[in-house]
Amino acid sequence: MDVSLAAVAALVTLGIFAGWLGAIIGIGGGIVIVPVLVLAFGFDIRIAVATSLVAVVATSTAAGSAYVGKGTANMRLGMTLEVATTIGGIIGGLVAVLIAPSVLSGLFAGLMLLTAALVGRRGDAEEASGEPMPADRERTEAIGWEEPGALAGAFYDDRVGGLVTYRADRVAVGGAISLLAGTVSGMLGVGGGFIKVPAMTEGMRVPIKVAAATSNFMIGVTAIASLFVYFARGYVHPYTVVPVALGVVAGASLGAATSSKVHPSLLRRILVVVLVFVAVQMALSAFGVDVGR
Amino acid sequence: MDGDGPGLDAATADEIHRVQRIVQTLLRAGLVVAVVLMAVGLAMKIVSGSRHSVGVKLFALGDAGSSADLVMALGVLALALTPAFRVIALVVLWSRERDWRFVGVALAVIVTLCVAVLVGHG
Repeated sequence: MDVSLAAVAALVTLGIFAGWLGAIIGIGGGIVIVPVLVLAFGFDIRIAVATSLVAVVATSTAAGSAYVGKGTANMRLGMTLEVATTIGGIIGGLVAVLIAPSVLSGLFAGLMLLTAALVGRRGDAEEASGEPMPADRERTEAIGWEEPGALAGAFYDDRVGGLVTYRADRVAVGGAISLLAGTVSGMLGVGGGFIKVPAMTEGMRVPIKVAAATSNFMIGVTAIASLFVYFARGYVHPYTVVPVALGVVAGASLGAATSSKVHPSLLRRILVVVLVFVAVQMALSAFGVDVGR
Repeated sequence: MDGDGPGLDAATADEIHRVQRIVQTLLRAGLVVAVVLMAVGLAMKIVSGSRHSVGVKLFALGDAGSSADLVMALGVLALALTPAFRVIALVVLWSRERDWRFVGVALAVIVTLCVAVLVGHG
């Protein structure tokens, strides 16, 4: 299909917005990129998912380099779970290219409603407690170490004013949930952090700061497993992917620079409404109802 | 040891920090190369006047619609390979540490990524 210069500008803007939003409230760009490409631009959802996966890799690579530098991410833990997430990514990518696009749109609508519920719940809890929720707190700086030969480490927690040591256990539980996270990521083009972080905190008893940093570190490798499937099958359209990916990289930097000037709770409320509205549009589209462009 | 990880000797802590710095540098370098290729390719596409968006297959990059599409596709490939090179780098670094358990884990990830490429191609 033809993409006009105005559409290229719109794709760059979409990427900037997705990257900025991700940096401000900690959600992946895929939840924004995929529905806009499908509903507003009319792309096949598999092209949209492949585009989103490239954006996810760009974001993860940029964020991952920062987290590793501080030592918060546990690379051994991440690598262990990546065995499961990459297998899941292949499964998700294969399922996505084999099933009907309408089914994929319906699943994505369900994911958007789930994301709206999670974002809304996080905002309510934040207002009730009067302090930032863990997903925001973990984005503050932390310095840590991992223990060679084990799934363990320590990090300096400024809230407790000292070192916190940890040791991951129940690897099988974390691996099973990570397999699911990889499948969802590969099928729908999202990072899957909302599954991986609880897999580590609840399933393996890893502190939230380490879990969130490790999840960011893992997302890139998880995403490329399914991206290779889409790329090999011709669903990567460079003239569509590149404007979005460049926008995401710029938007993530912009978000980091402007995060102190934005009120995340107001943004969350707006996002919840928009996600529900667009999810309905995606669901209607999945059932063959013309939602117009 | 003072001011560093609990239970770690100075040499081990230095080695850990070195690994962290290498991985961080690798990720940043890969991102820069990918962004430059993608930006150059996009500029070439815009200047060429072509507005057609076509799919490019990983195993048929030579069949890309134009040189601009090829450069952009190479940028996407560079971006996709960056996390994979990070896994390879950790195999090398953990081998030097004789941390064989995690060398094995990282090799399993590399094998899975190779399977992804082959499965996608098939």
